Amino acid sequence: MATDSILTVLVFLVPLAFALLIFLCGGISRVLREGAALVGICFTLVISGMIAYRVLRGEVLTYWNMNFYVDGLSSLMELLGSVMGVVIIIYSLSYVNHHPRLGDLPEHRLRLYYGLILLFLSMMNWTCATNNMIMLYVSLEATTLATAFLVTFYWRRESIEAGYKYLLLVTVGVTFALLGCVLIYSAGIPYLPARKILLLTELGKIAGSIPRSIVLLASSLIIVGFGTKAGLVPFHTWLPDAHAEAPIPVSALLSGIVIKVGAYALARTITIFAPRFPAIVLFVAILCSFGMLVGMIMALVQDDIKRMLAYSSVSQIAYVVEGLGLGTYLGIYGGLFQLMNHTIIKGLLFLTAGSLMFATGERKISGLSQLRKRMPVTAFCFFVGALSISGMPPFNGFVSKFTIFLAVAEQGLLWAAVIAVITGFLSVACFAKAAYLIFWMTPAEGHGHGGSAELAPMKESPPPMLAGMIFLSGLCILLGVYPQLVHPMLDSAAKTILKLLTGL
Amino acid sequence: MASYVTGNLIITLILAHLIASIAAVEIRNLRASAWALCIQSLFLCSIFAAFAVVSHNATLYWWVLSTFVTKAIIVPWILFHYIKKLPKSEVKPIIGFAASLTLLFVFLIVFYRFVHTHVDFVAPTPEALIEPARSCLAIAFAIFVLGLYVLVARRDAVKIVIGLVLLENGVHLSLVTLAPTLPETTVFGITTNVVVAAFLLLYLTERVYRQLGTTDTVELSQLKR
Repeated sequence: MATDSILTVLVFLVPLAFALLIFLCGGISRVLREGAALVGICFTLVISGMIAYRVLRGEVLTYWNMNFYVDGLSSLMELLGSVMGVVIIIYSLSYVNHHPRLGDLPEHRLRLYYGLILLFLSMMNWTCATNNMIMLYVSLEATTLATAFLVTFYWRRESIEAGYKYLLLVTVGVTFALLGCVLIYSAGIPYLPARKILLLTELGKIAGSIPRSIVLLASSLIIVGFGTKAGLVPFHTWLPDAHAEAPIPVSALLSGIVIKVGAYALARTITIFAPRFPAIVLFVAILCSFGMLVGMIMALVQDDIKRMLAYSSVSQIAYVVEGLGLGTYLGIYGGLFQLMNHTIIKGLLFLTAGSLMFATGERKISGLSQLRKRMPVTAFCFFVGALSISGMPPFNGFVSKFTIFLAVAEQGLLWAAVIAVITGFLSVACFAKAAYLIFWMTPAEGHGHGGSAELAPMKESPPPMLAGMIFLSGLCILLGVYPQLVHPMLDSAAKTILKLLTGL
Repeated sequence: MASYVTGNLIITLILAHLIASIAAVEIRNLRASAWALCIQSLFLCSIFAAFAVVSHNATLYWWVLSTFVTKAIIVPWILFHYIKKLPKSEVKPIIGFAASLTLLFVFLIVFYRFVHTHVDFVAPTPEALIEPARSCLAIAFAIFVLGLYVLVARRDAVKIVIGLVLLENGVHLSLVTLAPTLPETTVFGITTNVVVAAFLLLYLTERVYRQLGTTDTVELSQLKR
């Protein structure tokens, strides 16, 4: 079953090498900067594709005495990260390099930008490949450190503040998780052969033997820690600022992948303990129900489109964690499906918001109006994203949310299922309102702004931006109509967690 | 006899370590505060070294080395480098000097006693229940809470970085008490993270100071809700 394969380390060493190349030689020419970024991310995509192919055939890839371990879940995350990476880098070629209002940026900042994106993807793949509980913390913190300067990219007052807040809160939060990991690590030592490192894959075996008090204390610390990274309410306060002040492709990266790394870490640790300790399931369900409702209500009252999407992420990630926290096959399956769908949909929505901002320079919903005719492709993509994230059939958001409703109800947490459904309705209201205001409403009907937008001739965004949006909306529809396509992948990921959970 | 001596030595060291931590928190002059942090890290190294001698664990010497290089040399050096460009004295904290010191002493003693009596709640291994590991663990949690106190109650951005380093030092101490078998690569990763996080935070602080002329984080968080 388990085969030694160098692919498990190449998947993070290759982007790391390209990131270093960009940092060192990116100043020489465009080829060594944007070109290297594209080539690097494509290589990473190929490697994660190869891993996914082998994992789907039932293999588990390991390396260096099980210190690196890639199963269905890791492979799913790596594949998602690489696909989003390609879309985001191609999008950035237009958005960051030739922004109409910022002009062409100095070379060293572009070098930092592309280098850090690749560095982040490398650290994220490392997080997914590592099998050491403490290294999970180290690599997770490294993803935060790599993205801090992406948030502050514009070096405006707000972006520096948002970056500071992001870095400080997430670092402190993740330190809590480290303390939790240390407690479990120490509690696990007596049950392992002498001097053996506590591997994540061994966690299931010892979960039953560790004293209850330690598991509960450590689990709460880990939920606080990795929950901060994932953006769970009430540890989400960094998220709206960071999402709103970062450049759009970085917001898509943050919402699409960075917070998912936190969810991944929770899946590797909390999900393993959940079935044996009903208190954890209940705690996670309460936290997530509260979080999804608060996030959605906050999203409803936002006028800034990026903040609205950010609060929507706070709400959606709660679905993911709720599913994963149940520890049942259906729950994990639904959580992972929602994780995957949210990456696609929120990536799409942020990119369409970027397209609107690129054309109009406006990020207030009240400042945008009647864009349906002038930006037909953007309008179409926004609708697909909006319907999909609200959980409307026949889009992908429906399938995964419905699975989570079922899984939650199956565990007897009917109140949680009801809250999840209500949040779904609020979500429809939120996105329908935004879509109406942006694309249909004429300025005369309501708010008096938009006059300046009316005068400026507006064109659709350039092809590299549209390509990514169309690709992601295509995925939304495809996975909604034909969810069986990703079933083997999700099934293998959910089964690997279940297998670790029983400790076989 | 030898273990009795080293046991007492470790307890003396952790008390000195605690006093240095409180000094780093309470001294208002940032340069002096950074020196106190440096001394605190040196005590941390000596505790690790004492543990290494007691347990004949060769990996722990690597911990001593990596902690010394990162926490006693690099972090203070970065702090001094940025303090030169920032205001000399801390932004006036919400809680005054005398009040803060009294609060800390009372709270830390109560918290220390609490953890010390309930160590079996957090650490089931028999090694952690005997002295000096027991006191060490209690102090580690106390330092962790001390770091949290700084993060919550202080307004100065540099002080907050000092608080973050204290927080991580507390975890580090619990790590050496609870999991001394951890391989060097992991320890190296943890310490590197702290250094990079401290550097990035101070870099951002300096940028903010250049733009706004303040290192007060309360003004920083005026970012619209």
